[in-house]
Amino acid sequence: MKKQIIPGCVMLVLALVISIGSFTFLSPCVHEDGSVGACWWAGRALLGLGCLLGILAVLTIVSGRARFGTYLSSIAVCVLGILTPGTLISLCRMSSMHCRAVMQPAMIILFAAGGLTAAIGAWVGSKDKWGKQ
Amino acid sequence: MILKADNISKTFFRNTGSANYFYAVSSLSLEVPSGSVTVLTGRSGSGKTTLLNMLAGILEPTEGKVLLDDTDLYSLKDDELSRFRNKRIGVVPQGRSAVDTLTVMENILLPAKLYEKTAPAEEARQRMDDFEIDHLADAMPRELSGGELRRMAIIRALVQNPDVLFADEPTGDLDDENTEKVLSALSSFAHDQKKAVFIVTHENDALKYADRIFRMEKGRIDLQENQPGNSV
Amino acid sequence: MTGMTSLSVKNLKRKPGRTIALVLLTAFLALAVFGGSVVVLSLRNGLQSLEARLGADIILVPSEAQSKVSFQNMFLQGTTGAFYMDASVTEKALEVPGVEKAAPQVFLASLKADCCSIKIQVIGIDPEKDFTVQPWIARSLTGELGEMEVAVGCKVEADIGEIIRIYEQRCKVIARLEPTGTGLDTAVYCNMDTMNKLLAAAEAKGISHKITSDDDSVVSAVYIKVKDGYDIDTVNTALTGKLRKVTAVRTRSMITGVSDSLAGVSRTVSTMIVVIWVLAFIILLLSYVMIIRERSREFAVLRVLGASRKMLGRMALLESAACGLMGGILGVIVAAVGVFAFASLIESSLGLPYLMPAFSTVLLLAIGTILLSIAVSAAASALSAWRLSRVNPGTALREGN
Repeated sequence: MKKQIIPGCVMLVLALVISIGSFTFLSPCVHEDGSVGACWWAGRALLGLGCLLGILAVLTIVSGRARFGTYLSSIAVCVLGILTPGTLISLCRMSSMHCRAVMQPAMIILFAAGGLTAAIGAWVGSKDKWGKQ
Repeated sequence: MILKADNISKTFFRNTGSANYFYAVSSLSLEVPSGSVTVLTGRSGSGKTTLLNMLAGILEPTEGKVLLDDTDLYSLKDDELSRFRNKRIGVVPQGRSAVDTLTVMENILLPAKLYEKTAPAEEARQRMDDFEIDHLADAMPRELSGGELRRMAIIRALVQNPDVLFADEPTGDLDDENTEKVLSALSSFAHDQKKAVFIVTHENDALKYADRIFRMEKGRIDLQENQPGNSV
Repeated sequence: MTGMTSLSVKNLKRKPGRTIALVLLTAFLALAVFGGSVVVLSLRNGLQSLEARLGADIILVPSEAQSKVSFQNMFLQGTTGAFYMDASVTEKALEVPGVEKAAPQVFLASLKADCCSIKIQVIGIDPEKDFTVQPWIARSLTGELGEMEVAVGCKVEADIGEIIRIYEQRCKVIARLEPTGTGLDTAVYCNMDTMNKLLAAAEAKGISHKITSDDDSVVSAVYIKVKDGYDIDTVNTALTGKLRKVTAVRTRSMITGVSDSLAGVSRTVSTMIVVIWVLAFIILLLSYVMIIRERSREFAVLRVLGASRKMLGRMALLESAACGLMGGILGVIVAAVGVFAFASLIESSLGLPYLMPAFSTVLLLAIGTILLSIAVSAAASALSAWRLSRVNPGTALREGN
């Protein structure tokens, strides 16, 4: 049982970093005149996805019956998180901008780690559920 | 087959009292023939384990030779001696002798695996069944009691099928029933399969299975009892 | 798998705490070496690229313009600049003995365009006279820059065929240039006709480029190539003497300045790598020495069962090499993710030309780092492997009874 919860705990930590980071140290650009570009909305979307990942992580920890399903859902959320900055929502054109230099790579790495953790959790859960292969 | 010790002795350096060296085993000669059970008794610190280790090819004597048939054990290089011992000499060491990262079954089959011989898995299972630890085949040593570990070590030595089997306190940690089973198995191994068994013990249970009994005192050995027809 | 190899694998798998600790320690070493080496190599590449991109021996800029250091920042960090002098400077420079070529460039800093929320540097060149930028543009563009057509540096995220707006003027992107690792990667290049239109558009927005009210023809910088056989300093002095309100910048001094900074950073990174390796090697060595005590009984049992000293030594070295391999791979992967994903951040933090090495170089570096990790791990365990193979079974088995 402990083995199955550990990935959920890791995911929760990642979700917190994503959510808090999206409006602090991993935030998108804010222009000098206070206006926002497309990357700002990407940051908002990432905040939402981070919160969703956090909720799914809590569910994996507390709910035994739904655990396998919540891990699979988490993988989908993480795939969306990887595609959001730069692919689904455009970012600033200059590679040196904060959204491209920091936010995009950091979020991709964090969501990739989350997806991998969820995949491991689903795999461990499936082994216990249906017996060792 | 016969194991012969020819004037072997062992000295160790010890920085106490007036003497720097002490004789753990004083010069002695001994034979361990096949088809017999030899028991060596004596008090703690008398040199029994040192003698066993020298006879088993594990500890080189300070003087003298140990011959198994015509092979002088300590004239062999380490590679040759190790392979020779794996093939012809089995040892049940004193105390805990399991490899912690292997299961019970893997521990039992380890001697065969070292030199990639065919693992006698069937015989191992049979022996484990005889000693009532068959249900522990996939358990790790840390999950076993002292008595179960002792039985595992004995099964390992028997399954190895050596020409000479040395057992140092084989019945420590065992209850009466298992003590009888172990000693009976060792006796059968010696007499039925024409092997040599050499047991070091300070318990009296083993004496009734012995063909010869030696007593060791301060590095010297005395024959206490000898069945007719046995050489010393 | 041989018996001893199989035993080694089981030892590693079934003692996960010990294995993970050794792997993480080696991973830390590999991370330091690989990451540090990529950074140092990127800085060296950047310096070579800067040298190649500057191309000229001397650059003429207006005296009242920003100082040499700020002009240097255009190349290093891509900070924008817009300063002007009379276009006749180009012809006057050609009259100076020793000047082989003189190529004018016009700079313009854009407003916040739809391409980015900061200013970008627009550079107008004369394709017939230019000898610094044109060869580089030619590597990415077969034809010439036409009217309202631009070539963008690799860090401007605009695709070929896309329209970007500068001072409300629609410019078509027809080429993306190769990376240089310098501030030029954030610039946009056009011909003089396009630049004149952009200058006019800037004028309409209230951003004047005129240096006098009559002036209609301006340049921002003139790149000078000195003829062979002429002393560059002598030509430099002659140019300064002939041209009023113009500063002649020796590109060699720019490169030397960057080179000195780079040397300082390289030295710091290299020293850190050495310190980390020495400390980690000592910790590894001590770890393996502590392991001796834990494993002497296990090795004694194996000796008793017939394992030779060579077999035991090989087993111990195999385990440590395996830890080195796993740690090396893990360290390289983590470092690679860090230095490649955050390359822009590293570049802007260092403020120096930064050009990532080629894939083949990185691959060789990764393989070298992994091999080094294996070697160091095996070396750290060599003493304990030797001692364990010589364990006295009688003594070891007796202890702890």
